[in-house]
Amino acid sequence: MPACADTLVAEFEQLAEECRMCYQCGQCTSSCPNGRDLSGGPRRLVRLVLAGEIEAVLASDDLWRCTGCGACTDACRMDIDVAGVLTRLRSLERANGALRCPERSAAQVAARRLDRHPRIDNLVFGATMAARGHVPRDLAGAAEAGFKAATQVLPRRRGAAAAAARRAADTAGPEAVTLPFYAGCSLPQDGALHALVHEVAAGFGVLLDEAPGAGCCGHPSRGTVPSYFRPAELVFTACPACDASLEKAGVATTPVWDALTGRARRRGLAVRAAAPAFVPYVGCLVERDAALASLAAAAELAGAQIRLDFPTLHSACCGALGGMYRGATRGSARLLRFAAGQGAPVVTPCVLCRDNLRSAARQLKLRVPVYFWPEFFTAHCDASGGCDRCPTT
Amino acid sequence: MSGLGDAGTARNGVPPAVILCECAGTMKNIDFDRLEAAAGEYTEVLRGRHWCSREGKARLLELMEAGDGRRLVFAGCSADFAARRFQKLRARGLHLEIADIREGCSWVHGDDVATVTDKAIALVEAAVRYPAAVADELAHGHRRSEVLVIGGGVAGTQAAAEIAQMGHRVELVERRPFLGGRAARIGSVFPTNDCGQCLPTSDQQAGVRKCFHRNQVIDHPELHIWRRTTVEAVKGRPGDFEVALRRLPNIVTEACVDCGACETVCPVEGSEPGKRAIFTEYYDGRVVRTVDLETCTFCGACVEECPVDALDFGQSPVRETVRVGAILTAVGCEPAPPDLLAYLGYGHDRVMTQVELAELMDEWEDEAALGLLPARHVVMVQCAGSRDRKRLPYCSRLCCMIALKHAIRLRQLFPQMKVTLCYLEMRTAGVGYENWFLAARRAGVEFLRGTPPEVQFDAEGRPVIELEDVTAARTMVLRPDVVVLSAGLVPAAGTRELAETLGIALDEDGFVEILDRKHRATETSGEGVFVCGSAAGPKALIEVTTEASAVASEIHNFLSSAGRRRTPASTVDAAACVGCDTCMTACPFGAITLVGRPHDVPRPAEVKDAGKLAVIDGQVCRACGICAAVCPELAITHNLSDEALFGRLATLMKGVERPVVGFYCTECAGAALTLSGQHRDRYPESVRLVELPCIGRVSALHVVEAVRLGAVGVFLAGCADGRCHYRSGDASAAEQRRLAGELLADAGLDVPVEQWHLCAVDRTSVARRLRLFHARATGDTAELAALERELAALTGSEPTACVGGEGRARVR
Repeated sequence: MPACADTLVAEFEQLAEECRMCYQCGQCTSSCPNGRDLSGGPRRLVRLVLAGEIEAVLASDDLWRCTGCGACTDACRMDIDVAGVLTRLRSLERANGALRCPERSAAQVAARRLDRHPRIDNLVFGATMAARGHVPRDLAGAAEAGFKAATQVLPRRRGAAAAAARRAADTAGPEAVTLPFYAGCSLPQDGALHALVHEVAAGFGVLLDEAPGAGCCGHPSRGTVPSYFRPAELVFTACPACDASLEKAGVATTPVWDALTGRARRRGLAVRAAAPAFVPYVGCLVERDAALASLAAAAELAGAQIRLDFPTLHSACCGALGGMYRGATRGSARLLRFAAGQGAPVVTPCVLCRDNLRSAARQLKLRVPVYFWPEFFTAHCDASGGCDRCPTT
Repeated sequence: MSGLGDAGTARNGVPPAVILCECAGTMKNIDFDRLEAAAGEYTEVLRGRHWCSREGKARLLELMEAGDGRRLVFAGCSADFAARRFQKLRARGLHLEIADIREGCSWVHGDDVATVTDKAIALVEAAVRYPAAVADELAHGHRRSEVLVIGGGVAGTQAAAEIAQMGHRVELVERRPFLGGRAARIGSVFPTNDCGQCLPTSDQQAGVRKCFHRNQVIDHPELHIWRRTTVEAVKGRPGDFEVALRRLPNIVTEACVDCGACETVCPVEGSEPGKRAIFTEYYDGRVVRTVDLETCTFCGACVEECPVDALDFGQSPVRETVRVGAILTAVGCEPAPPDLLAYLGYGHDRVMTQVELAELMDEWEDEAALGLLPARHVVMVQCAGSRDRKRLPYCSRLCCMIALKHAIRLRQLFPQMKVTLCYLEMRTAGVGYENWFLAARRAGVEFLRGTPPEVQFDAEGRPVIELEDVTAARTMVLRPDVVVLSAGLVPAAGTRELAETLGIALDEDGFVEILDRKHRATETSGEGVFVCGSAAGPKALIEVTTEASAVASEIHNFLSSAGRRRTPASTVDAAACVGCDTCMTACPFGAITLVGRPHDVPRPAEVKDAGKLAVIDGQVCRACGICAAVCPELAITHNLSDEALFGRLATLMKGVERPVVGFYCTECAGAALTLSGQHRDRYPESVRLVELPCIGRVSALHVVEAVRLGAVGVFLAGCADGRCHYRSGDASAAEQRRLAGELLADAGLDVPVEQWHLCAVDRTSVARRLRLFHARATGDTAELAALERELAALTGSEPTACVGGEGRARVR
């Protein structure tokens, strides 16, 4: 094994200094949304750092399966910033390591793209990844996403969301409110879904004012892209990842679903659910209990049953592991089996999670529908069916 | 004889005598004729070849008995050595001031007679011309014989009983209506696995131990028990405290016949587990029945039902004052409050603490007898709230053993029950404790290395624990029926308030701080205030009872001793004191208070109004000199005054080329230096040492003065790190060193100022350290190279050893 560069050794010594007080209690790995799919997780990486096993650390895939949610830092008995240590280990690996894993490539491709463009383009991203030898695990899902992204270039489709927003504004009642909205990267690449978000919001009497030209939020695990928004500006979001990274940049964010639910409760709007019962899934980047409570509140308004097991089942990693679907995780498999057993669909406030869970369900051959929030909850309208605002179930 | 003009040096008009000892010719590098002549310039010299011989001692006795109170300055061996040699004369009242020219000069220097003699001359002159105030006296405050014991748990009660048996009157104060504390309420205790409610018997009663209610020691005529009583205020001084007590009424009078009728009609649930608001406890037979005043609604149902009119709600709290010579605080500890355990689901009905499990155990034993299984899977979580920087950073010490005890019991009662113990580290250090660990393994308890970050619940309300099994490096999900938290222990409620009332310090975790971990484990920072048991940190019952007996002896010693031998207390010059609180904050013993300045005392010009004045309590002051060092107005005089210190410094440094100055405390650092001298380890003559009672006596001004007089390096040597005899002298010296560094830097002087920690174990290395510091301060590269060779020969290896403990510098 070649000797490590002195600077690398010094960096590791600095990291070891920060980790010196580790009890190896395992609470970081226990709290990690992705912990079930790691080999020892952050706890093991910290141990290896302390042991000076630089090569072993730099050869660990676990490094790149971190979404930077910070649960490990919160759980640490000894106030070690575990998530911060992992972030720095990733940059050391990028500079000194030679790991070959899809998550690392994805981060690199995304970072490189974001250096030159405001947003990630799924088509380009997928093609670049495939060119690097990372074949998608769920070809059907990838093809579907690719198709959707490709149709965006058609002139008729391109304006779907803007048209929906205009239509909503034109037909809005006098009591409608306008909220500043940030759609992120993924939503605009699915025009139909993007339009649906505007339509559903309009049903709740909410108009979404999209910031034109807002670039990538600076995904939390990469976290270098400057924010379009000013600090302390209130922004409503449709993606937990955007939520987390904008928060990190000091922007006050609220999931738009919370706003819709709150408005429905205050104004006594009837909410309609697409199924009588559902299993919630909130993903790894949200404040778990608050997000579950928000879904439970929506369920109560809609008279739908919320089927819960224990909280971390509904927040464990969906399988995306850094932008690329890598197959069902132990967490997502357990969630989908639970939903199948309950005979209920899964509902999530994250569009990425929806796609990944759908892929996982396909892989596991489980007939569990997975809905994005606005596909499941709509404000009830009196027109008895046939209205084009209502999603077909 | 001339030069005796200094009023301070003569006593009763008689000039001091220098008892010059040649130590039977062992100090060949000193020219005694020159030394005698030099000292003879300013005072009388009595030269002898061997003063500790029979003849020498006879001469000393004559001098003593002359009765003129003359100062005797002994120029010879070190204070430690002289004290041994003249032990019998000292017992008869001989008081020698010491100029150590043997271990402090001749034996540690080379053969250069001229310079060694110069140094000896300086040492003698410094001692004669600049004396400290009378070295020590017996502070003989009268100490009362009575003792106040706060806390009627096992610790307090056992200590109280033993102190009473030693002949002291004891006031035992307990907040609750019953004695026995926490131990009496727990089913069984480790490592004996029996109940926790016995006390040792006295010789008057058969058997080695008896329950509280059967033990006659509690009936000792000198033991006065105050139930439902709290301490309100404490006044006075060590040896004579005046304590205000407040006792709540018992409501149930002596007329009670214990029929229990009241309990059957009481509609209120009390705060004691499973009790009504009027209730009785059986582990302490003295009080039959009482009313829980915290929960009682005063509905009167019990009054109507009582057949003997034994209830008197008309009683009111009683305030009384007791006077005692010593106070023992034995207030114990208690489980962590619920909010600290909320992250582990505490508050949910399937989550309980080990204490609650202990209380439940009786019920579960009944279920076991009926063949029932109350839970299929029990998970115990260790270090719940403990060893956690967000909660309790310390180890609570008992939880491992309590968990093992319960886990074994559960497996014995219910062989089908799965018991999983999630641990961080199993700490079973104690005589016989490992057997409990092995017994638990044998009993089939599952040990899982790893603690959960949270306890969750599923839709049915069953606990779910997701955690990493660290040894297997995999995460798993446990779905137990019951979660038992081995909750950390915190100081008993009210400990902080009590400490304030008593004027004693708490440690960083909020427990009562003990004076000295190694030797004074039952004394607090307040003189005359003692501590035992878990009030000073969580302890097992067997440690608590050991401490109870120990503190009883300590208190007896304290009350029956003639008083502490001490140097004269420091004093405040009212004309200079501006009433800031610097000294008060710095005093490690709380001896200094700020009082309203009386109108008839002098005041500094800048103090216009009445203002404040610092006052030192001579009974409490231990004369460390920290206050004198930190006072910004130089208003405090220590028995070793600044004038004396500056005088000694100037005398010792006079005419020395490139001197190195060391201030050292007479305690640990003094021991190391004297022992090194006896070992005859050499260092350069230009190292000049100034002895202080505590390194906290040194101020930045002293350091700067040394540099002004030409010092090329200064070091401050105190006791071993964290072991200052005066608690904070070391920290004070560090601050003064920092200040001195700033002052020197401002003046553009680059002089090394180091702080050292020495103790007797450094006797073999301290001389080498002095040489190293001297060589570096003077830039003596030849000496540095010699040291390197010496060390290489010593270790027989490459010279990588660190010179002088924390000398930091590696010699290469």
